[in-house]
Order: sequence, then structure tokens, then C-alpha cells
Amino acid sequence: MKILSLITVVFVGAALIYGTLDMPKWGDPHSPASTHVSPYYLRHSLHDAATPNVVTTVLADYRGYDTLGETAVVFTAGMACILLLRAGRKRRGKGHV
Amino acid sequence: MFEFIVSHYNYWMYIALMMVGFYAMMAKRNLVKKIIGMNIFQSAIILFYISTSVKRGATVPILEHAHEGHGAVAHAAHAVDVMQYANPLPHVLMLTAIVVMVATLGVALAVAIMIYKRYHTLEEDEIMMSIRRG
Repeated sequence: MKILSLITVVFVGAALIYGTLDMPKWGDPHSPASTHVSPYYLRHSLHDAATPNVVTTVLADYRGYDTLGETAVVFTAGMACILLLRAGRKRRGKGHV
Repeated sequence: MFEFIVSHYNYWMYIALMMVGFYAMMAKRNLVKKIIGMNIFQSAIILFYISTSVKRGATVPILEHAHEGHGAVAHAAHAVDVMQYANPLPHVLMLTAIVVMVATLGVALAVAIMIYKRYHTLEEDEIMMSIRRG
């Protein structure tokens, strides 16, 4: 099992390193990630939201629905944790009775 | 060749870190070690995304001189030098990813606690033996 995992890890790592050969250089200001929509956010966020921190503007204003979904994720995870842990407590209580 | 290595080895570091987590998820038998491997994997992905937001010579994406009088604000909106600030988008996406990471960690640890209560062990093979015995 360990040998099999090691072989898988080596192959997946090699495939990923092959994939990085086409990646833009580190710190390249003209990389695809920094050219399409992020200049718009940087230029217009102060005018649209009057907030100097662009990360805050994108998180809470431009992508507010994304953040709403994120809070749904956190709520679901919290409810799952509470239900799992409380279910365990109840079952043990019944066992003692 | 040397320049290529210098400008790309950050990606290889994240891949190495990711593969450490991947190996831990597959090969370790202890469930908590598997969860730690999952966290290492997710951290590697977060570092990778953050590294795509770097621009050489740029600073954090907080606009300078933003609140120096309201008349100048509308004018300054068109004068933002995009090359001066790091890309804010990967930071935002990774904020979301960190939240999801914490949520999965919490649920995974809760499930691990339940498994420990039922089988009194966290070793995968012992749990499998216990299930097969019925």
C-alpha cells in the first residue's frame, strides 16, 4: 500500500511539474491572473465602494453573494459538528441508563 | 535555463508540499494523520494561489492616499496604477478557501471523535477489522 501510494504521488507530482512549465513567471505583472478582471477591481473599487482596501471591496461588495454562500458553508459545518457531537453524547447517556 | 528555474521553483515547492499532504492522506493509517495531510494539501493550494497574485515591486492591495478629501476621490479612481498593487482577486478567493478549510477540518475532527467513541481506536486497519468481525 505504501509503495503504491508513493508511486502515485511521484506520478501526480511529475504531471503537475510538467503543467507548471507553461505557467507565468513568479511576480510577472502581465500574467493572465492579473490582467483580466483584477485591474477593473483596482481602478473602480474606490469609486464604487469608497473603501481603500480592495480585498474588502471585492469580498463584500463585488462578490457579496459568494461571501453569503461562504457563511452558509460555515453554518452547515457548525451545525454538522454540533449534531455529530451531541448525538454521541446522547447515545452514551442512554447506555448508562 | 537558470532564469527559468528561478522564476518557476515556487510552483515546484508548492507541488512538493501538496504531494506530502497527498501521501499522508493515502498512506497513513491514523485518521488524525490523514486529516493533517488534508490540511497540508489545502495549505499548498492556498500558497499556490497567493503566489499567482504577486507582482514584482508591488505592494498590498490597499489604495494609498484614498481618503485625502472627497473631491479628489473621483479623480483618483482613474489614476490608480495597477502595476503598483498586488492582484486582490486570489486573496479574496483564498479567504473563502480558508473558511472552507476550517469548516472541513471541524467536521472531519467531529467525525473522528465519533469513530473513536464507537471503536476506541483511530487506526484504520483496526477499525476495518472491528467492522468485519461485526
